[in-house]
Parts: sequence; structure tokens; C-alpha cells
Amino acid sequence: MITLNKINKVFADKHQSFHCLKEIDLTVKQGEFTVIAGPSGSGKSTLLNIIGMLDQPTNGTYQFDNKEVAKFSNNKLADIRREKIGFVFQAYNLMPVLTALENTEMIMEFSGIDKKQRKQRAIETLEAVGLGEFKDRFPAQLSGGQQQRVAVARAIAAKPLLVIADEPTANLDSRATESLLDLMVSLNQKQGITFIFSSHDPRVIERAHRVIHLQDGKVIRDEQLQHISSTHSPAAIPS
Amino acid sequence: MIHKLALRNLLRNKRRSCLTSVIIVFAFSMMVLFMGLSDGGHKAMIDIGVRMGLGHIIVQHKSFSDDPSLQHLIVQPNQLIQQIRQNKPELTAVSRLRVDALIQAGRHGVALTISGVEPAKEVKMSAIADQRAITKGKTLAEFPQSKTFHHLDGIVIGETLANNLEVRVGDTVTITAKPASGADLSRAAFVVAGIFKTGLHELDTFWAEVPLHTLQALLGVPDQVSQISLYSLETPESLAHTTTQLQTSFNHVNISPWQTAAPELYSAVTLDAAGMYLLMLIVYVVVAVGILNTVLMSTFKRKKEFTMMIALGSRPSTVSKIVLLEAVYLSAFSLTLGLALGLWGHHHFATQGLDFKEVFGTAMEAGGVLLPDKFYSILDASKLSLSVLFVFLLTLVVTLIPAIRAGHRSPLAATQDA
Ligand SMILES: Nc1ncnc2c1ncn2[C@@H]1O[C@H](COP(=O)(O)OP(=O)(O)OP(=O)(O)O)[C@@H](O)[C@H]1O
Ligand SMILES: [Mg+2]
Repeated sequence: MITLNKINKVFADKHQSFHCLKEIDLTVKQGEFTVIAGPSGSGKSTLLNIIGMLDQPTNGTYQFDNKEVAKFSNNKLADIRREKIGFVFQAYNLMPVLTALENTEMIMEFSGIDKKQRKQRAIETLEAVGLGEFKDRFPAQLSGGQQQRVAVARAIAAKPLLVIADEPTANLDSRATESLLDLMVSLNQKQGITFIFSSHDPRVIERAHRVIHLQDGKVIRDEQLQHISSTHSPAAIPS
Repeated sequence: MIHKLALRNLLRNKRRSCLTSVIIVFAFSMMVLFMGLSDGGHKAMIDIGVRMGLGHIIVQHKSFSDDPSLQHLIVQPNQLIQQIRQNKPELTAVSRLRVDALIQAGRHGVALTISGVEPAKEVKMSAIADQRAITKGKTLAEFPQSKTFHHLDGIVIGETLANNLEVRVGDTVTITAKPASGADLSRAAFVVAGIFKTGLHELDTFWAEVPLHTLQALLGVPDQVSQISLYSLETPESLAHTTTQLQTSFNHVNISPWQTAAPELYSAVTLDAAGMYLLMLIVYVVVAVGILNTVLMSTFKRKKEFTMMIALGSRPSTVSKIVLLEAVYLSAFSLTLGLALGLWGHHHFATQGLDFKEVFGTAMEAGGVLLPDKFYSILDASKLSLSVLFVFLLTLVVTLIPAIRAGHRSPLAATQDA
């Protein structure tokens, strides 16, 4: 689904340039549950931004679903992000003026999904992330973990091919981290959604199928882990 | 959803939105109110000026404006009137003969202007011939001409003049004037038929009206007048057109609109109109700055939200639309309220009138014409709707750039911490 070929990213301004990603080759298949690990400053976010089409590589090619991303217009990129990719950011990026339900619905509405359908899907998804009873609350009335679950619900409600999460658990305590992970693992298993996220949290890394280790902008190790536990039983997932 | 977002964002900072709204409501309702009062004031001013003996269009001898003497009169005015009315049947014509004279009563004597008028025709045209202006006695039209005790004609004089002369209705006064022949002074006696009050100093102190034929006889200018005033119900624009048409058809006389005949009044009216445009400009600026400030503040605080929306895949146009909608809602709401408030005020002044004396404690004079004590607000619907539309478009225009900027933020910023 994702093929990166000799991707380089150089940040440059008048005074200095910084070679952030160096010759990254990477293939991610449909249904993978991948963590990008590495120390701070190793280029994890930069790589995810490129995969998420928020940023362009300095050179190299990126194919998404067998199509060359560099050829897409800005609006086309927006359309793909909206319809095929779900995002979960580190900080809880919810719209403060919308309720949990409305936040979950928003992107679907922009995609033109009809009202009844999107509402039903949003409710189901919120129930799946265990927030059914909080659907009418505004972000300010939710805890950090709950907000992050809303963000996950928003990311998956439109049934994307891929969910990208940049350190989704960085602001969560261990219990919230565990339950968010349970949720993502089960979504991956039951719906076949591809997950790519970054983390340097060992608790997160140990749940992944595949860990890509970055250091100084280079992939230093790409390990396929044995499938670990699915003993946790997350909330029921709509199928 | 974008409507919901726009509305909730407005409500999010209630204080700011309310403040902006209040400013716009206030400015706009004031503008509507002043628009009505200004136009109403103008109409009152023109009406009164025209009724004080000008007419909408004035026909005079070619040299009269340079030398207003009895040598420069219009001869056989009725014949000219007939010709004019064949040309423009919608016009009403009144002939007048004016001369400087001396009025005496007992030991008092005052120099003044005597106007010879056709009383029956004046009734609808002149303020002085209007019963409401007469404080004592009768109008000339009501006065039984030449049927008085001494077979004297009537005269109406101003209230101040009557006081100065110490005369009352029924008293006799003498008019002395220099006839056209330039020979000895002519003199005639009149009975005070009525005393008028216009509130205009010039008229109330130095003005008197007598029947036209009597004055013509006194001055030795039979069938001659100093001016023919034409009255019309046309709009000012078509009036100007009519005037030029008449002037080409009758080029042996001078035909001018009231603007030319009464330049002081005209400049007072235009000056006032200029003030109105200045006020409108101020209102436009206030509205534009108010909206722009609100939009800038609110978009500045929500940069992160916009980038997040774009990162999630909202098209730039969607984000821009939300910002535009906020401005549209805010200005539509404020303008509606401002319009309602302004119209309410207008309705009040259109029905009750505005009492100048009440507001300023004194009567107001402009361009040599006294404004009536009360005048009524008049709103021109097209002028009003045009300014509503303009203000509304103005909000869109000032919001356009911040809106486009909000839509074109880089989605990258969303990934960085707040
Ligand atoms: N816009 C930019 N301009 C210049 N340098 C940048 C820019 N963005 C990132 N960098 C640099 O690129 C390097 C990688 O940054 P990146 O955010 O990808 O690291 P990371 O692995 O996500 O780190 P962390 O774990 O702290 O989030 C860092 O050294 C950073 O300073
Ligand atoms: Mg990072």
C-alpha cells in the first residue's frame, strides 16, 4: 500500500540546512500494525508527515495505493487525506466548539457522506472506543485520554485505509495508554485498518507487529515481531 | 456543519461578538436615522424655500437678476404662462411683482419689500397665503377685496413688522413706492387683512403682500410682473431637464431652477448632504474595522484549528467558507438589528416629526431659509437598500483575505504542539 523509495528530507533555510531523513526505503502492506521507534530527533514525525501527505520529501518517490503522490494537486491531497487516511496527533486536536459526536462526524460530512449514515457511523465508532455516553460532551468536558479516544474515533469513523498516529500516547498515563492500544489493536484485527504510529514508549512498541527503528534519519533496524497478545478484550467493534 | 462551526465560533467569544455587533447596530441604526432626517430636513428646507416665494422654476426678465428694477419686468405674463402651460401642462404658474417700498402707520415707517400677488392662486403655493401662517386676521384670498369701508385693498404683514408699526388687523397703513416712470412717489393706503408668522426674520420683519393689480396700478406697470414662479411635482432630476427644455423654447426670458435662483439655500442643502455622505463613510469604516478586527482576532486564535482541519483533509475552501460565514452571520445579524432600530426611529420621526426647537432650543436657519419647527423623516428605499447591500458586501470584502489565509495554512503545523 505504501512504498517509499530513497526518500530524503532536508530542512534548509538561509543559514543552515539539516538532512533529516536519509535514503529511506520502506514498504508497508495493507493490514500492518507498525511502530516507528527511535530517539527524539531521529525523524519519526518527519517520516510520518511525509507518509500522511502533510509534507513533501526533498527527493525520492512515494507511492500510495500504487499512485505517485508527488503528482497530486493540493486539493487531491486533501481529498486523499480526508477519505483514505485517519490522523491522530499527539496533542488532542479536536474542534473545541464541536461535541465528541460532531467532531467524529465532521470529516465524513466534508466527504459528502449523508447525514443519517455518518451519524450512525459516528455513534457506533464512539461506542466502539467506549465513549458512547460521552458523545454530546465538548472536548473541554472530557479527560485527556477520552479526548484522544475521540481523536481515534474521528480517525477511523470514515473507514480509512490507513491510520497515522504520531505519539498518540505521549500525553496519556499507563492505563489510558493500555486501553488506547487495545482499541487500536482490535481495530486493526477486526477491520483490517493499517496503523502506522511513532513512539518511543516500550509499552507501545511491544504491542506492534513490526518495529522500524530510526536513528539520525536512517532506518537502522526493521523487525517483524511475533504477534503478541490479544488477550485484552477491548470494547466491541462494529463490523 | 460549517454553519454550526461558524455560529458556535461566534458564540465562543460572546463578549467580542456582542461588542462588535453593538457597534455595528449603533452605527448602522444611526446612519438610517440620519439618512431619514437628513432627507426629510432637505425636503422641508426646499419646500419651505420654494413656498416662501421662490417656486421650483423661476421665470424672469433676462436682465432682472443683474438689475432688479421696474424696467426689467415680464410683460403680459398671462400670455407667457399660457404658452408655457401648452408646453408643460403639469406646471402650476404664479405671477409676482416685487418692489422695495416704505410702509407707514402713524409715526412709524419701515422700508420693506412689497410683493404683489394673485391671492387665489397663491393659496396652495405660498407659505404666507397659507392659513396656518396667519396668526391674526385673514389671508388675502379670504379678504373681501375692495368691499371694505373705505374700499381699500387688504395687505398682509409679518408679525414683527406689525409689532414695530404698532398696528393690528383692521388698521390702515400707507405704502409709498417709486413708480416705473421715475416721477414723483406713489402712495396708497391698505387695510391690514392679516398678520403672518413664518419664523423667518426677513419675512416677518420686512415683507408684505398686496393684490397684484393694486401694486401694478400703484407702480404704473399694468400687466407686468417681476417673476413667474412655476411649481411642479417632479423629482429634482426631471425638474432640471424640464428647466433646460423650457429655456430653449423661451429664450427671450431667463428660466432657472430654484438652485440657481436661491444659491444660498442650494449650498446649504448640498453642504448638509455632504455631511450625510461623510457620516455614511464613517459608518462604513466603523463596520469594516469592527468586522475585520473580530475576524482577525478570532482567526489568529484558531490558527491551530485551521491547520488541523486542513491536515485532516478539509479543503482550503471549506476553511475559508467557515471564516466568511462567521462574518456574514455577524454582519447580517447586526445589520438586521441596526436596520430594525433605525427604521423604528425613522417611523417615529416620520409620524411624530422632529421638533427642532425641542432639540436645539432655537429655530434653525439654513441658507436664508428657516427650517420649519417640525420636519418629518423621509427614507428613500433604494438609497437605503443600496447602503445595506454595500455594508454587507464590505464585510465580505474585508473578510476575504483573512478567510483565504486561514484556508491556505500549511497542514504541518497541526502536528506540532500547541
Ligand atoms: N521544519 C523544520 N525545520 C528544520 N528542522 C526541522 C524541522 N522539523 C524537524 N526538524 C528537525 O528534524 C529532526 C527530526 O525531527 P522530528 O520531529 O522528525 O523528530 P522526532 O523523531 O519526531 O522527535 P521526537 O521524538 O522528539 O518527536 C530534528 O532534529 C528537528 O530539529
Ligand atoms: Mg515527533
